[in-house]
Amino acid sequence: MRRVLTTLVVAILTAAGLHAQNVSDLIISEALAVPDSTGIRDDYGRRSAWVELFNKSTGTVSFGGCFLTDDRSQLKKSLIPKSDLRTKLGPRQSVILFCSGNGQDGTFYAGFTLEPGKTVYLVSNDGRTIIDSLAIPASIPAGKSVVKLAQDLRQQDFQPQQPAVPSPGMLNGDQNAATKAQAMAETDPHGWTLTLVSVSVVFCALAILWFLFWLFFDRPAKQAAKAKALAATPKTVKGTPDAEVAAAIALALDMEAGGDDYAAIATAVHLYLNDAIHDIEPGFITIRRSESAWDSKSRVFRKLPR
Amino acid sequence: MEQIFQSLSQFWEYTGFANCSWQNLVMIGIGLVFITLAIVKEWEPMLLVPIGFGMIVGNIPMFPGLNIGVYEDGSVLNTLYQGVKQGWYPPLIFLGIGAMTDFSALISQPRLILIGAAAQMGIFGAYLLALLFGFAPNEAGAIGIIGGADGPTAIFLSSKLAPDLMGAIAVSAYSYMALVPVIQKPIMLLLTTDKERRIKMPVPRTVSKREKIIFPIVGFLITAFIVPSGLPLLGMLFFGNLLKESGVTKRLANTASGPLIDVVTTLIGLTVGASTQADKFISLKSLLIFGLGLLSFVIATTCGVLFVKLMNLFIKNPAKKINPLIGNAGVSAVPDSARVSETVGREIDPTNHLLMHAMGPNVAGVIGSAVAAGILLSFLG
Repeated sequence: MRRVLTTLVVAILTAAGLHAQNVSDLIISEALAVPDSTGIRDDYGRRSAWVELFNKSTGTVSFGGCFLTDDRSQLKKSLIPKSDLRTKLGPRQSVILFCSGNGQDGTFYAGFTLEPGKTVYLVSNDGRTIIDSLAIPASIPAGKSVVKLAQDLRQQDFQPQQPAVPSPGMLNGDQNAATKAQAMAETDPHGWTLTLVSVSVVFCALAILWFLFWLFFDRPAKQAAKAKALAATPKTVKGTPDAEVAAAIALALDMEAGGDDYAAIATAVHLYLNDAIHDIEPGFITIRRSESAWDSKSRVFRKLPR
Repeated sequence: MEQIFQSLSQFWEYTGFANCSWQNLVMIGIGLVFITLAIVKEWEPMLLVPIGFGMIVGNIPMFPGLNIGVYEDGSVLNTLYQGVKQGWYPPLIFLGIGAMTDFSALISQPRLILIGAAAQMGIFGAYLLALLFGFAPNEAGAIGIIGGADGPTAIFLSSKLAPDLMGAIAVSAYSYMALVPVIQKPIMLLLTTDKERRIKMPVPRTVSKREKIIFPIVGFLITAFIVPSGLPLLGMLFFGNLLKESGVTKRLANTASGPLIDVVTTLIGLTVGASTQADKFISLKSLLIFGLGLLSFVIATTCGVLFVKLMNLFIKNPAKKINPLIGNAGVSAVPDSARVSETVGREIDPTNHLLMHAMGPNVAGVIGSAVAAGILLSFLG
């Protein structure tokens, strides 16, 4: 029961986190309240006010089921239909929603008209959480929009700017911003800075790994092995110096053993002293069954007649 | 009768003979050389046979528009090539490498990790040289990664930084990995003295199961936090190793290190080979990439060996000195470069086994090259 509950809680938290992460990636990137004669037309040929939504993430976000409003006390003023497949917004893409005053005009139409001096809100599909807002100044001239700009096209941080020349459906940012490689070619044409920084980072990463394992594993293990070796050292018989014992063993070996025996004894002693007699044993033993003429299946079974 | 001749003539236009160019024949010839080297000399057969045959497949002259070529959208080869192009074969290979790698050699002698870092100088040396030869920084980064001696990492990074050069970079990386014994041995002999080559290193201590389990988790957390852009490679490498060492996911580890890596290696080799279509491959840039790739291997080996000599200057206890012949293993060609250390070491002293020690910097090199790829991606991507 406890395990089921834990799993359930984790699943709910994960799902909530993922959902929140998705919708919160949307921003109101631009809004035009008073269109002039040069403004874009909607599907009905009208020059309506509009707001632009932008997905600042690198994954697809669905904005179906979210709400648009210009009244903070009425967050569910205009619902964006959730059944329309076109309400999925690709990474770093934008969509235009016309504020025609009639939500029945289509998926991309809001049921209010946008007016100067008001603030437009994008509300999450729970109807309570405000994802983003954009204030329209009361004094904004006709044909000018309020824009949220990023310093470069990959940035996440957008700053409002107004009045601006409307750019519906286009990325709001410096279109001519240099790519990282172009910027690197200008700032570090010979590559020395990048090389120095990169080599330092590689060394740092691996040095940290080395230090941690040396500190927490290698050093304690070696100290433990040393302590174990000390504890296991047999005490010499009183009055018999080590050199004499060694000489006696050598003499005995010389008399009785051949070269192979020397090698075997030396290997065994070396492994013992270095604490490397065994790798870690798996902990189970495999016993192979040996078959005799009495219980061997191949001998007991009757062969098929030819 | 006339219609028969017309049909035959039309059929002729579709044959390889009618569409053949000398470049196609050159590439087919190179493919055959790869296959011969793999079968006769047994140089990296797992890589060179698929790549060599892929080169032949990709260079069969054909009438364009039949939707069968590797660069034609929707063709079978193109679909298989997406794993290379989108960069999802390399992390799968890293998963398999992780599941078959034993990091004990590294854990028991953590100081050898630093050799893996030093050998990554090959990457940045080649980067500097590529810039000198007029490549753009992103192209230079993709070329530099050849010095990591890691095919999957080279494919992963070049698919992100310079997709146009990926074929030449991948073939260059895999070719030089196959030639590791030929390239590294003379450099190792040149940079070491007879006395240094005879250094016997102490037997590494036994590593506990707990250490082996903690290593992939701690290793991943540290490296991924420092270089998040290396996440696909580092994540899969350490995940595969955790599957192996945890002891409770034996079936998953066996699949990752067996059937999965075999399938992906076959597909990556074949499609990388097929991507070397003559019209896109034979160019001065490709030749330069091959030259720079060779230099990057030379720099990596040199830096690895010299770094060990530098470390020895600071090690006072003669019993703890490191044999510089394991310096070459800092490049991540696992386990070929470690095998070179063992072979060269035994040529000097048949009782001196360096393989176990060389595996330490060798697996550190895998981590180091993935980290270096992540850094290049974050700066140039």
